[in-house]
Amino acid sequence: MRRVGVFICHCGTNIAANVDVKRVVEAVKDYPEVAFATDYQFMCSLPGQDLIKSAIAEHHLDRVVVASCTPRLHEPTFRKAVADGGLNPYLFEMANIREQCAWVHAGDKERATAKAIDLVRMAVAKVKKHAPLTPSSIPVRHRLLVIGAGIAGMQTALDVADAGYEVVLLDREPTIGGKMVMLDKTFPTLDCSA
Amino acid sequence: MVAAAQHPNIKIMTYAEVEQVEGYVGNFEVTIRQKARSVDVDACTGCGSCWEKCPQKVTSEFDQELAQRKAIYTPFPQAVPNVPVIDRSNCRHFTREKGKCRVCQNVCPAKAVDYEQQDQVIKEKFGAIVMATGYDLFPWEEAYGEYGYGKYPDVITGLQFERMNNASGPTGGRIVRPSDAKVPQTVAFIKCVGSRDEVKGKAYCSRACCMYTAKHAHQVLDKIPGSQAYVFYMDVRTPGKAYDEFYQKSVHEGAVYLRGRVSRIYPQGDKLMVCGEDTLLGRQVEVAADLVVLATAMIPSRGWEQIARTVGVATDKDGFFQEAHPKLRPVETFTAGVYLAGACQGPKDIPDTVAQAGAAAAKVCSLFSRDEMTTEPLISEVNERLCSGCGLCVPVCPYKAIELKTIQERIPGGQRQRQVASVNSGLCQGCGACNVACRTGAVTLKGFTDDQLLAEVDVVCL
Repeated sequence: MRRVGVFICHCGTNIAANVDVKRVVEAVKDYPEVAFATDYQFMCSLPGQDLIKSAIAEHHLDRVVVASCTPRLHEPTFRKAVADGGLNPYLFEMANIREQCAWVHAGDKERATAKAIDLVRMAVAKVKKHAPLTPSSIPVRHRLLVIGAGIAGMQTALDVADAGYEVVLLDREPTIGGKMVMLDKTFPTLDCSA
Repeated sequence: MVAAAQHPNIKIMTYAEVEQVEGYVGNFEVTIRQKARSVDVDACTGCGSCWEKCPQKVTSEFDQELAQRKAIYTPFPQAVPNVPVIDRSNCRHFTREKGKCRVCQNVCPAKAVDYEQQDQVIKEKFGAIVMATGYDLFPWEEAYGEYGYGKYPDVITGLQFERMNNASGPTGGRIVRPSDAKVPQTVAFIKCVGSRDEVKGKAYCSRACCMYTAKHAHQVLDKIPGSQAYVFYMDVRTPGKAYDEFYQKSVHEGAVYLRGRVSRIYPQGDKLMVCGEDTLLGRQVEVAADLVVLATAMIPSRGWEQIARTVGVATDKDGFFQEAHPKLRPVETFTAGVYLAGACQGPKDIPDTVAQAGAAAAKVCSLFSRDEMTTEPLISEVNERLCSGCGLCVPVCPYKAIELKTIQERIPGGQRQRQVASVNSGLCQGCGACNVACRTGAVTLKGFTDDQLLAEVDVVCL
């Protein structure tokens, strides 16, 4: 028996304008093994994250689902909140009801809401089968290769070298300088380019 | 340039190319081909006797074909390192008079010229890679018949104009017509040649052209008394700091801006007739110009396909290297430990390039600030008992993260060796391509196991 907490985000009006957030909460709160379900205006905000942390303690949650935006944006945020709440950060799943519901189905709130409910149910079914995962670590060699020695490559090389790291600045031409050294004066200051 | 050359932490490798990149973030092993310069870098003093006496003239790439260089050359006087190379495809010693011409070797006081030098292939280890491969110009001669397909010598590119303006360039900084070396009185500039032209060129804006054209117009008016500068434009885009003021300055100096595209250039006497439309006045205009300068689009530097494949970075539809996120991760790529700086990521001017290069450096420094980095656990793992060692997963992995390894196992009556797939946790990005390819179900992606995915499907389908 799992105890899953489900948090539905409004994303201001980004989601709430096209998905009936309250109905999503109603639909999933009695779902098997869902111990807690709620909605909040901005789940990624500090109060939103605190909501996750306190619910984990209060409702003894062992799995968390957040339905909000793309995981590319806030998956790390919510994983951290879950970890701060005392759970393994990978006992978490995200449902994207902004890009995949509210935005693509703008103007069809009924079906966008139905799809959001499905996505949240899927996330709940999946998260129940999540296992705790632990990151591993790999060594880092402190040496940089810069491919191309124009203004971009030279500037990167200088900044990294100034920080005390070894840099190899490579170019296929016989000299460094790239396109920039071909130029005469450069805008907007009209100083020289070499 | 001098700062980079003198920095104790920077090792410069010129005339070198990256051939292979193996490994992963923090642990790259890069194979570099140091092309044969045919000149001993340590012995050469950069005196220049060799290129003064070299009998073979070649069109200068650095001067954008407006001048000639020798077969042994440095691209320009301030080159770093100040050591020439022999261009073997044009050198007489290596081509038509095989072995005969030895002029440069004979005149070299340092005995630095070495015809026997070979390419050297070396392997070096790195923790991170920054791509800064830059841009080239759109080949307008192949697309713009109305501008003469490159057959009028006095229709030149902005970069050729830069070389002419440069004090160390082919004309010593004088603006002249390439055809007859006369000083032009009327110069026409055409913007968006290849940029913002989906039919003949690229859909994107090249971003630097509005500003450098304003600079070019200023330079014409400044250097040639009584001259006129006409600029044909679609829009004037000057959103940088102090940019619009700069553009306004060139207008106040007398540059005439005409809004409209040029439909045709044709020669008449020793003039070039530039025909276009002034869309603000709604009428045809014709300018009799002595010189026409085209602001051609920036495109990815030649060879971008190969270097992208070698290093393992994605490219966009135009061949620019793809950043991990256009707003939030603009200097990172989808390959951990590989970063982007400058025009290889998209057209940009010098201020933006320097800013982006600094951002890439900050990312590298933050990676290097630790001796170890944690890796995402959502990666593939192989169940060796199920793996048949068929190797189908190896070529489908876009990150080169899977190799076959040999394991020993006990069988009734003895031991045997067999091959199984092995995932490198530093390289695997968790894309799941290997899961799909695996016939025996031996490869699973942690966090996305078959069991988890089927649970999702069941809940909506059953």
